[in-house]
Amino acid sequence: MIDFQILIDNFNEYPYLIKLAWVVSAILGALIILLTVYLKFVRTILRKKEANSLEFRKEYEALLIEYLYSGTEEGGISEIQKNIIEELKKHVTVKSKRKVIISVLYKLMNEVSGEVTDALKVLYKNTGLMHYALIKINSKKWHVKAKGIGELTKFKIESVQEKIEQLLVHPVREVRKEAHLYFVNLFYFEGLNFLDIIKTPLSEWDQIQILEILQKSNDQEICDIKPWLQSKNETVVLFALKLAKVYNQYEVKDELMNMLSHNSKQVRIQVIEVLTHLYGIEAKDVLKANFTQLSLEEQISFFGLLEKLVIPDDEPFVEKHLFHKDFEIQLLALKILKSINIDKYLGLNKLPPSQKSLAMLKLENV
Amino acid sequence: MDRKKIVLAEDNSTLSLLLKFRLEKEGHELFMAADGKEALALIEEQLPDLIITDIMMPFISGLEVISHVRNKLELNVPIIVFSSAGQEEMVLKAFDLGANDFMGKPFSPNELVIRVKRQLN
Repeated sequence: MIDFQILIDNFNEYPYLIKLAWVVSAILGALIILLTVYLKFVRTILRKKEANSLEFRKEYEALLIEYLYSGTEEGGISEIQKNIIEELKKHVTVKSKRKVIISVLYKLMNEVSGEVTDALKVLYKNTGLMHYALIKINSKKWHVKAKGIGELTKFKIESVQEKIEQLLVHPVREVRKEAHLYFVNLFYFEGLNFLDIIKTPLSEWDQIQILEILQKSNDQEICDIKPWLQSKNETVVLFALKLAKVYNQYEVKDELMNMLSHNSKQVRIQVIEVLTHLYGIEAKDVLKANFTQLSLEEQISFFGLLEKLVIPDDEPFVEKHLFHKDFEIQLLALKILKSINIDKYLGLNKLPPSQKSLAMLKLENV
Repeated sequence: MDRKKIVLAEDNSTLSLLLKFRLEKEGHELFMAADGKEALALIEEQLPDLIITDIMMPFISGLEVISHVRNKLELNVPIIVFSSAGQEEMVLKAFDLGANDFMGKPFSPNELVIRVKRQLN
């Protein structure tokens, strides 16, 4: 006690700054101790939670396997399956357990196909998990909404399409994207009807994802893409052009010809590329006639078309552009000339260097 | 029917359990490994009649498992590999290393049973 009094007296005699330093040190020291205890407490709780979730995962995995292999011969739900569903119904009311169940189902859905996935879908519906996904899509938080749609997509729940339809034009991009993917995943080409109504842009990544899903469809019979080629939404037009190319839509050639004078330069360039792919030889005369009015990118695309669809009659046109201001066009013109008239191409080598184009000089040094 | 020993190396515990149940129903004896390391230990210990392995696994990949079986243990046991979408190059490597068959995920367990039968016969 006396020692303690001496310490207090000594402390009182210290200059103000030293006193302050001691007080701050004491506070920080106490904080460190408190935080260490708190950290230990949090870690213990987290470990306990993890252990519980692992234990529940194991328990649930066993139940799931039992469920999958106890169906009736006719494909109906057996008594054992009904009991498992009833048991799981109790678990899904607890958020942490619901999370574990969903994650196990998700993982399995990614890895197996066929009759097992059908059984998983039935389980998802009957255990009430679908009900929680519907609560998610009604949430005000966009990320919860998007997650809910993703879940319904994964388990291919068709009965909620009217609800998802309302989210096709949601103000948040991620929600819209999930809604688009829902329709494409479930209905493939028929699910593309949302392209009729969307006014917001469809990003390049969204387009790639949709194309990838469409390629998984067993039915590769594509729907009519003409309305989308005339869409006011430029990204929809660009996507329709991708569809025309991937699915060889020769029947839209006339529409593509009209689109050579589209307002958007990007669309016009893409149209030339699609026509190249579809052997749109009719486009040659139109583009040749307007060549000087085309942008440089369109001119390059057109030379790409010529490279594939050239005939000997095109020689004067190609020759005329051997000295084009753009190096890429010079090079393409040389390449095309070589393919239709090798003698004339070789004759160009005899030109004096001062009369040669940059492409000719570069090729000489290759 | 002969009870054949099968080592199944798969890090998705639910899928492992599902396949174990399915293949045991066919009369086989299953040894489960959650990663490549465990798989190698089981293979050396059990000398199985068939190995089924995923390509992407913790610690030691499916490719390393195949390489170890063919080059170090010099076993001719048939090997079936699982691969996910986008792992086409890995599948080619697996065949180069000596895999006998492959199944792309997602796959049907019934199809796996048929492939297992074919390899064991």
